[in-house]
This record gives sequence, structure tokens and C-alpha cells, in this order.
Amino acid sequence: MNANVYLPALARITGIEEETRGARAIKTFRVEFPEGGAFDHECGQCAMLSLFGKGEVMISIASAPAVKDYKQFSIMKSGRVTTALHDLKVGDVIGIRGPYGNQFPLDQWKGRDLIFVGGGVGLAPIWPVIQTTVANAKDFGKITVFYGARSSRDIMYKADFEELARKAIVQLSVDAAEDGWKGYTGFVPANLMDKAPSPNNAIAITCGPPIMIKFVIQNLQKLGFTDEQIYTTIENKMKCGVGKCGRCNVGKDYVCVKGPVYSWAELKTLPQEY
Amino acid sequence: METILKKERLSEWVAQIGSRARVFAPAFADGLWNFSEVVAGTSVDFDYGNTVRPAKGFVFPQREVLYRFRQESGKAPELTETLPAAAPTVVFGVRPCDGRAMVRNDKVFTCGFKDPYYQARRDQVVFVGLACNSPPSQNCFCLSVGGSPHSEDGLDVLMTELDGCYHVKAITPKGKEIIESGAALFDKAQAADSKAVAKVHADADKHPQRTLAAMEKVAAGLKEQFDSPKWDELARACIGCGACTYLCPSCHCFDINDEITGSSPLTGERVRTWDNCQFPDFTMHSSGHNPRHDTGARLRQRVSHKLLYFVENHNIQQCTGCGRCISHCPVGIDIVRVATEVTGQ
Repeated sequence: MNANVYLPALARITGIEEETRGARAIKTFRVEFPEGGAFDHECGQCAMLSLFGKGEVMISIASAPAVKDYKQFSIMKSGRVTTALHDLKVGDVIGIRGPYGNQFPLDQWKGRDLIFVGGGVGLAPIWPVIQTTVANAKDFGKITVFYGARSSRDIMYKADFEELARKAIVQLSVDAAEDGWKGYTGFVPANLMDKAPSPNNAIAITCGPPIMIKFVIQNLQKLGFTDEQIYTTIENKMKCGVGKCGRCNVGKDYVCVKGPVYSWAELKTLPQEY
Repeated sequence: METILKKERLSEWVAQIGSRARVFAPAFADGLWNFSEVVAGTSVDFDYGNTVRPAKGFVFPQREVLYRFRQESGKAPELTETLPAAAPTVVFGVRPCDGRAMVRNDKVFTCGFKDPYYQARRDQVVFVGLACNSPPSQNCFCLSVGGSPHSEDGLDVLMTELDGCYHVKAITPKGKEIIESGAALFDKAQAADSKAVAKVHADADKHPQRTLAAMEKVAAGLKEQFDSPKWDELARACIGCGACTYLCPSCHCFDINDEITGSSPLTGERVRTWDNCQFPDFTMHSSGHNPRHDTGARLRQRVSHKLLYFVENHNIQQCTGCGRCISHCPVGIDIVRVATEVTGQ
């Protein structure tokens, strides 16, 4: 990392995948560091992306730590910087600084069943965990991935899901009925209750819109998951990424440093300011 | 190291230091006392209560350029780091509450990730404190937050006004150096001087101040009363102007934005500026979701940061009791009253 924490490395965009279209479109950007400045990261960590003249935005790293040649970021078009990022082309150069934040405690999950529950662009932060655990499947029990989107057109990583379905149990859902849809129709928390995974020796990892996370956690508790068996990753507005600018705090914790990954046992002790 | 400086020699000492460092001292202009650069040949006046703006700007300026960028269309950007070429700076007349705030600011900017901009300025600045012989404002409450009118924390030198002279004590090696550099101006402190200083300090401690319950009690009360309806009641008058945090000696929140200076090629600066937890968009997500969506939640954040979260993280209160946020709030929101009413302490 640069000695000056605010100074980004320069990274070249080497691939852009259009995941979903529309007002809240999602694109996945692949970046490489031809000029140096590449860094290692752990599952769950984030990086601050820079577009000069526009500003910075904190985005979770969607590629697995084992991937060293590039990093991937799946970004929803939402604010000033993400909208400008969506206009970029392959070959364009952006700034990146990081990695920031804590990580999912994969080493504590050895031998346990893993149940991932994602919604919308909230799949991106847990995608590196899915990739890493599936690649090391012998270290874990059964791996199940629940994922829901508003419609089949809004499903991210479509091609990757076909590959994933060969290695893990995949439970897809769409919010509203569609002709020809073979998966579950309804919201993610309802799909979870419908399939009712066992909490026995299991860990559940969820990320998605705040309202989805809320009901997923409630339903996991109904299924018998303890607070220690539930993990999530949260976001707040960030500017510095290094615990100084003062806006991402949830109680005493700066999410950029102490988070974004929390067990529900930890998170429930903090005020609900996220 | 303790010495005596006759009052008539103060300006000479300041002038001597001024020959090799930038010197700032409180000055009265436009109806306000604020730190102002001492112009050679002018005298320094210590007849002030406290400055309106705190001393934090010397290490954390309101606007700081982090780096410049330049980008030709279709090419990679060039970044130029702009670490401050901080010059030696001596600040006179820093009140002990502002000195103690510097200890808090150091924890924020130099613990964990090091902030190179803050550090560059901090290394070059010498804070010469002036003890308060009586509370400079009716809203002072330093004694309730672990400080005192003569606290040495965060200062390099502490001066105490005596009859016709100042008692000048070096707290740090940097402080010792600026006293030694003007050695000929100082007299040796006698036993009687030390006795006189002790009496001035003891008398200062006896002046009535605003009072707040003990640190642990306030922190526990704030934690327990997070959902209290009083937050909304007490914040109802808030207009979100942010005077409380801008004038706070230990408020450190900042924004980072790009200021464009040219479009072809694209040139500009990435700039850090003071920001404010009382502004609605401080925490607003791009989705429109706002975790601290009303004035009650934002007042709770300011008070809890000072008196609960900082205690949980650093085991000291962030507030140093200067009372500026109370004196300058246009609608009379009062951190002492708020903390007291919410916690019932």
C-alpha cells in the first residue's frame, strides 16, 4: 500500500460485463495494475475506487483472494461516481486504494455447512466467499447459495451460476411471476423458509438490501440459527476508508475499519444506524 | 523547566521566535478573538477569554489539498502528491481545553492508519498554552470532563499569568527549545513563584463551572438511553448549521471532494474539507436511505461521539469542555443540558 493512505494506485479496466440493465443497472469491472500497486485482499474486504474529477466510492471486492492477476468490482449505477463509472470503457484508467475492512472468518467455518443468502447487488460482497469455499469444498460441508433478484433479467453472474450449480446447491428466486421461470417465485426470505436449511453445524451468510437482510435474519432465527451462526456485511457512506472522516460509524465502530463483516451476535449489540 | 517572563518582555520573546518560525496568537478583529499571524513589530495581547475558532486548524486545516490530478483525454491520469511543506509554527495563547483536544486529535489521525497531512503539520507546530486564571466563558466545563484550567495535556509550554509576569513551564522538548532559544529574556523561577503559580491554579479550580456527571455515568446513561424520545425533543430547534462541530476543538469529521480547475486536459485537486455530522447528507446513501435521518439522530450522534463512543474506543471523553458549541449555537442547544437530561444524571 502507498505510504500516503489517500493516494490511490492506478488501475486499468480490462473487462466490463453488463450484468443487468435499467435505472439501477449493474456492471462488473475487471481491473489490472500494469503500473504496479496491486494488493492482496481477504474475503469481505473493500476498496476505494477513484474517478478523477468525480470522486471516490467504496466498493466491495467481488473477486476471490486467490485471483491475483486482477480484481473485480460489481457496481450498481446509483450516485455521482458509480454513474460516471458506468460510462467508462475497457482501457480506461481509474484509481484504487485499499484493501479496507475486516474479513469473513473462513478458518472458523471449517467442516461446517454454509448457506449463502444474497439479494440484488448484495451478491457481490459474498461472491468471493462463495468462490473461495467452493474452490476448497473439501474443507467445508454442504454449500447452498440462495439468490434472488427482481426478475430473471436482474440476476447477476448468470453464466457463473451455471458453473456454480455443478459444485453447490443453487436456489434462485425472482420477486414476481414470469413465464418459463423454473426457480422459486417470491422474495428471498420466503424462498429460504420454503427450503428450510438445517441450522445443524451450519453458518449462514447474508447480504442484500437492508429490508431483505432484516427478514432473512428473522427467518434464520425461526429456523433455529443462533446469533453466532449468522453473518452479514453492511455498508454506510464512506469518504476516507481509514476510520477518520467520521461518517460510517455504527455506534463506536467505523464500518470501514471494524466492519463491514459482522456476526449477528456482534451486530445486534450496535445501534441500528446502517 | 520553569522560568519567569516579565510581561514587558513577552513581545520580545514572540519577535525572537518570529525570526525563524511563523507565530500566531489571539487577536481581536471584526468583533471576534481568533488566532492570527503575528506581524513583526506588533505586540501580543493576552487580554482575551478564548478564541472563537479552536486551535485544531493548525494541524487539520478547514481545507487541505490531498493531491492534484491531470488527465489528457484517453490517457492515464497523473497524480501529484501535495503533502504540506509545513513551516515551523508557534501558536501562543492556546487554552488548556484546546491543548487537551490535540491529544484527542492525535488519537484519530495518528492511530491505526497514519494521516500524513496531519502528521506533517503536527511535527512542525509548538503549542504555547495559557492557563485560565478564571473560566473564560460562562459555558466552560473542563473540570467535568477530566481537564482543568491549567491542564498541560497536549501543550508544549504552559504559561500562567502572575502579577506583572508569566510563569513559563516547558512540557515537551519542543517547548524547552523555544524557551531556551530566548533564554536571556527569562528569569529563574524562585520558590515563591512556584508557590504563587500553585495558588493561581488552585484558585482557578475553585471558580464555578457548568457541571456534567462522571465520565462512566454519562457514557452508561447515553448507551442506555439510545432510544430516548428526549433526543427528538432536544433537537427540535436544530437548524443543522454545524456551528457546534466547526467550532469544536476535537471534531475531526471531513469530506473529500474533487475541485476541477480545467477541463482540457482535465485538471483539478482532490480536497479534504471539514464536514459536519449535523448535515442531513453527511450519512445519506446514494439510494436515499439515511441511517441518521432526523435532527434527533444527528444530535445523538454528536453527543454520543463525544461522551460515549470515544470513551469506548479510547477510554477518554472526546469533549474537553470548552463550551464553544453551547455559546455559539444559534438555537441554544447545550451539550451539558442534553447529556444531563437524556441520561437523567
